[in-house]
Amino acid sequence: MKLAILGAGPGGYVAAIKAVQLRAQVTVIEDTEVGGTCLNRGCIPTKALIASSEMLARVRELEKFGIELKGEIIPNLSKIIERKNRIVNTQVKGIRGLFKSWGITLKEGRGVLLSPEEIEVTAKDGSKEKITADRIIIATGSRPAHLPAFPFDGNRIISSDEALKLTDIPKSLLVVGAGVIGCEFACIYRELGSDVTMVEMLPRAVATEDIEVSELLERELKKKKIKLYTNVRVERVDIKDDAVHAFLSDGKEIVVEKTLVSIGRAFNSDGIGLEAIGINEGNRGEIIVNEKMETNVNGVYAIGDVIGGILLAHVASREGIIAARNVMGGDEKIDYSVIPTTIFTSPEIASVGLREHQAAEKGIKVRTGHFQFRALGKAHAMGEIEGFIKIVSEEASDRILGAHIIGPHASDLIHEASLAIKTGLKTKDIAETIHAHPTLSEGIMETAEDVHGEAIHVPKKEI
Amino acid sequence: MNPDNLKYYKEHTWVKVSGRKATIGITDYGQDALGDIVYIDLPETDINVEVNTEIAEIESTKATSSVISPVSGRVIEVNEELSESPEIINEDPYGKGWIAILELDDASELDDLMDASDYEKYVEEEAK
Repeated sequence: MKLAILGAGPGGYVAAIKAVQLRAQVTVIEDTEVGGTCLNRGCIPTKALIASSEMLARVRELEKFGIELKGEIIPNLSKIIERKNRIVNTQVKGIRGLFKSWGITLKEGRGVLLSPEEIEVTAKDGSKEKITADRIIIATGSRPAHLPAFPFDGNRIISSDEALKLTDIPKSLLVVGAGVIGCEFACIYRELGSDVTMVEMLPRAVATEDIEVSELLERELKKKKIKLYTNVRVERVDIKDDAVHAFLSDGKEIVVEKTLVSIGRAFNSDGIGLEAIGINEGNRGEIIVNEKMETNVNGVYAIGDVIGGILLAHVASREGIIAARNVMGGDEKIDYSVIPTTIFTSPEIASVGLREHQAAEKGIKVRTGHFQFRALGKAHAMGEIEGFIKIVSEEASDRILGAHIIGPHASDLIHEASLAIKTGLKTKDIAETIHAHPTLSEGIMETAEDVHGEAIHVPKKEI
Repeated sequence: MNPDNLKYYKEHTWVKVSGRKATIGITDYGQDALGDIVYIDLPETDINVEVNTEIAEIESTKATSSVISPVSGRVIEVNEELSESPEIINEDPYGKGWIAILELDDASELDDLMDASDYEKYVEEEAK
């Protein structure tokens, strides 16, 4: 079986390795760098910046930990970016190494589908090459959405791509969109010293999360002196006299050095030959696939951001595995019911499964358990007491339907809940499992206990 | 000791009245029960607050708790100093740790509040 994969992001490269493990002969075509958005312009570089900004936050409170520092603490953004670049380069080499070890052919250039069995690759030097394959997986990803209201110039008005390359800390920054990307960058640049203002057209920050999580994040942003305006649109931005003037729907005018627009992603489905072979696309240019990751054209699959839905690296990777297995004769369907999501704000956010308000919308009767990190000795010892854990369980069955964490190491803690939901566990199952002391994971156990009012480190509730 | 010139509410808040203006804060018992205060979410000025509803939210190292208003009225001033140094509430709950000043809606609400000695008895009862 000869398989060609268009795109080497977390969808494409994972599909490639999985297919080779199943004995396919794989060629991957990539026009920028292996690792895709996730590794080069997303997950990993932002986490590298967050590591620096969090280090800065910690160093700023050294005194609290009984450590004296003589001298000034100065963040140097160009050195922070250098560190980020080194991390990205190491990871890129890692993927290239994996390709080599599994015998995957990497063609560097831009691929265009000529037929369901043929891709033309144009290399950077202009040379062309035709690749034939029995099956094709399209994994071309997404890019920051550009709207006409925001005249991107890559300097004053930027997307997340440029926000990862700045070498000078902007004095003031307007972040348009308080979703995952906007909130992460707001926290990074605020810690580095920018005066940050956020504008969100929805009623709350991180609007896809549980409402209580949004409320707590909003308070933490307020503590950091990040100004957040919700229910407001940015109608227009102008670049005047070296500053960006943003005009809001409530009449306010905000003047800042730079504006970061993080209002969504656009799909990389143009100019790759979809029309030529008749692949169906949705209204926003996303490729339409079924649960087996098949497009309407026989033998052509699509995975990752370019199919729309949930734009997350780990979702793309799972779709890649499903597609690879189906290419190799499998009959597997994707299951989107248990997908943990993480937001690396400060504090971190992670969630999986049903939000409480979603349960109400679906008419499911639920119980909830809450637990504050500040009730844990470990959180105090670490000096990170902000946040809480919330579990949503079905009243009738006691099965866990959702878990929502905002607080220290939320992104690592969430997976116990993911496994519980995936395997249909009840809150009692977690509550009756001994959790080591002193750990943050005790919080998960206490939250499960709290669903039935039985948490140990929660004061008695008035009834 | 709880000052005699203040009125006290069951939710461990106090009021000091001067004309139509009511300064409010949390009591010494309240701050002690909360523990070290690390943050207070102050109300915006000009908003209206009803008696027995939340006027501010306090985060201590132990818990996150609502500050419940002992009276109804319009917020005319908040103690901005607390946003930088919320620990002032622990240090001086009846003085520099005041939270907000309201313009009273209905002065008769004050009749429902406790004086210092009643509040002391109330706290003793609660502590049992």
